[in-house]
Amino acid sequence: MSTLSALLLLLFVLMLLVGGKTGFKSYLSVIINASLIILVALLISWGANIIGVALIFIPLKLLTIIFLGTHDYVVAKNSFLSALVVSLIVILLIIAIQFFAQTAGFGDQAGEELVGLSLQAGISFPQISIVVAIFSTLGAIAEASVAMSAGLLELKHHDPQISRDQLLKHGNLIGSDILGTAMNTILFGFFGSFLPLFIWYMRLHYSLFEVLNDKLFVGECLIIVYSFIGILLTIPFTTVLLTNSLSKENKK
Amino acid sequence: MQIKNKFWISFGILVIGIVLSFWTYFSTSFTSKPIGVITDSQIKDELINKTEDNYQNKDQIRNQVLHVKVLSGKHRNRTYRIDNNYSPSQAMTQKYYPHERVILSFVGQRAKLMSPKRDWVVVLGITLVLCLLVAITGRHAIMLTLSMVLNAIIFYFVIKLDIAENGTKIFLIYGSAVIIFTLLSLVIVQGFHQKMWVTLIATLLGVFVSFGICYAIMRLTGESGIKYEAVDYATQDPRALFLAQTLLGVLGAVMDEATDIVSSLYVLCQHKKNLTFKSLFNSGRTLGQEIMGPLINVLVLIFMAEALPMTILYLRDNNTLVYTFQFALSLGVIQSLISAIGIVLTVIFATLASSIFLKHPISVKEAK
Repeated sequence: MSTLSALLLLLFVLMLLVGGKTGFKSYLSVIINASLIILVALLISWGANIIGVALIFIPLKLLTIIFLGTHDYVVAKNSFLSALVVSLIVILLIIAIQFFAQTAGFGDQAGEELVGLSLQAGISFPQISIVVAIFSTLGAIAEASVAMSAGLLELKHHDPQISRDQLLKHGNLIGSDILGTAMNTILFGFFGSFLPLFIWYMRLHYSLFEVLNDKLFVGECLIIVYSFIGILLTIPFTTVLLTNSLSKENKK
Repeated sequence: MQIKNKFWISFGILVIGIVLSFWTYFSTSFTSKPIGVITDSQIKDELINKTEDNYQNKDQIRNQVLHVKVLSGKHRNRTYRIDNNYSPSQAMTQKYYPHERVILSFVGQRAKLMSPKRDWVVVLGITLVLCLLVAITGRHAIMLTLSMVLNAIIFYFVIKLDIAENGTKIFLIYGSAVIIFTLLSLVIVQGFHQKMWVTLIATLLGVFVSFGICYAIMRLTGESGIKYEAVDYATQDPRALFLAQTLLGVLGAVMDEATDIVSSLYVLCQHKKNLTFKSLFNSGRTLGQEIMGPLINVLVLIFMAEALPMTILYLRDNNTLVYTFQFALSLGVIQSLISAIGIVLTVIFATLASSIFLKHPISVKEAK
C-alpha cells in the first residue's frame, strides 16, 4: 500500500469515528474539493477559457466547503451568501493588485524543476496567477464565515430575546477571536509551504531589497494579504447579514 | 477604544501607508542596484516568431523596444535602448508596461532588465491589511500584529539555525520551534491563564501525536510513492525539508481548532457548574464536527492551489494525469492529509484537556 492511500484510509476512519455522519460528509467535501482543483488544472490545460473556469468553480467550491462541511442549514445559507459577496470584493482587489505586481509564472529559482518542460505553453500565466490567488483565499473566507455564523446563532439559541444591537456587539467580540486564530492558520500554513524558498534566500544571502522584489516572494506575500483581507471583511459582512435575517424572522 | 477613534486611527494608517508606498515606489536609495524608468508612452511591440512546441502548443515570441532612463548609480541620467523578448504566456518571460519602474543591471556598457520594481506593492498590501485590522478589531489589532511580527522574527532565527546545522536535526529544530510558536501566540492572545495552558497542551498533543502517527505510517509503507525529488527549491535534503514543512503546516490549523474548542468549553464550564465529563465530551465533539471540515479545506486549498501553475504546465506538455499528480501534486496532498489527521485528532485532545476545568473549578481569582 502506498503512503498516500494509507493516510487517506486513516483519515477516513478517524473522521468517521470522531465526526459520525457529519464527519463522513466533511470527508466527502475534502475529497470533492481536492478533485475540483485537479479538474480545474485539466480544463485549463485543455485550453478552456481561464476566466470562465474560475467563474464556474468559485461558487462550486464555496458550496462544497460550506454545505457539505456543516450540518446546520441556516448557518450554511448565511455563510455561503456572505462568503460569496466577500469573495467578489477580494477578487476585484486581486485583479487590480496582480496587474501591478506582475508575479505570474515561475521564478528564477525554478530552473531545475522546469528541465524538460516546454515554457512556450500558449496559455496565459498572468490569468492563472489570478486563479491561484483566488483559490488560496476561498478556503479562509469560507471557514471564517462558517465560524462567524455558527457562533452568532449559538448566542441566539441561548438567548432568543437578544436585541439586534447586542448581536452586532457580540459579533465584534466573536469576530476578534476568530480572526486571531484564523490568521495563525494562514500564517503557519504559508510558513510551511514557503520554507524551502526562505532557506534559499538566506543561503544565497539575498538582501532585503532583493527579497522584496523577488517574483515568488511578492506573489506569496500578496496571497497572505488577500487571505487576511478576505477574513477581515467576512466578519462584519456575516454579522450584518445574519442579524438582518434574524430580525426579519422575528417580525414575522 | 471609541468607535470614532478606531476609524480615525485606521484612516491615519491608510494615509501613512499610501505615502510610504509612494516613497518606496520612487525611492532609489535602498539598494546599490541601478533603478530605471521606462520613458515610452507607447511601447513598440512586434511579433518575431510564432512557435509551436513538440506538444502542438502555439505561442509567440515578441520583442519590446524600451527606452529606459537610469535613475541611480554610475550611469545616472543616461537613457538606454533595451530589447525585451517575451512570450504572451509569460511563464518565465516578462512583459513591461509604459512608465514602469524597473531594476537594471549593467554588463560593461550594456544595460539589462532584471525585473519590474515590486516592493511598493508589498508595502501597499500590508497597509491595506493593517488599516482593515484596526477598523474592524480596534484594540485587538495591536496584539494580533505583535503576535505575527514576533512569530516572523522567530521564523527568521529558526531558518538561520537550520542553515547553520545544514538541514540536519530537523526534528529537534522544528519541534522546538513549534513549542515556542505555540507558547508565544497563545500567551499574547490569552495571557497566562488556566485556559491558555489547556489550549497549549491540546495543541502540542495534536501536533506531535498526529505527526508521530503519520510518520510511523510513512515508515511502515516504506514511504512508497512520495517523490521527494519534487520538493521545490530544495537547497538541502528534500526529505527533511518536507517533514519540516509539514510540521509547520499542521501547527496553525491545530492551534486554531484547539483554541476554538477549549474557549467554548471553558465558557460552558463557567455557566454550568454541575457538568459531567460525558456531557462535556459530547459538546466538544459536536463543536469539533462543525469546525473540522472547513478547516481541513483551508489547508487543502493553500497546499494545492500553490501547485496549480506547475500542474497545468505538466498537463499542457502532454504528461499523463498520473505522472503529473506524482510530481506536481502528491507532496501537497500528503501534507494536507497529515494536517487533516492532526485536525481530527485535536478534537479529541482539546476535549480531553478541557476536562481539567471540571476537576479544578475556576477559582474566583482566576475567573477575573
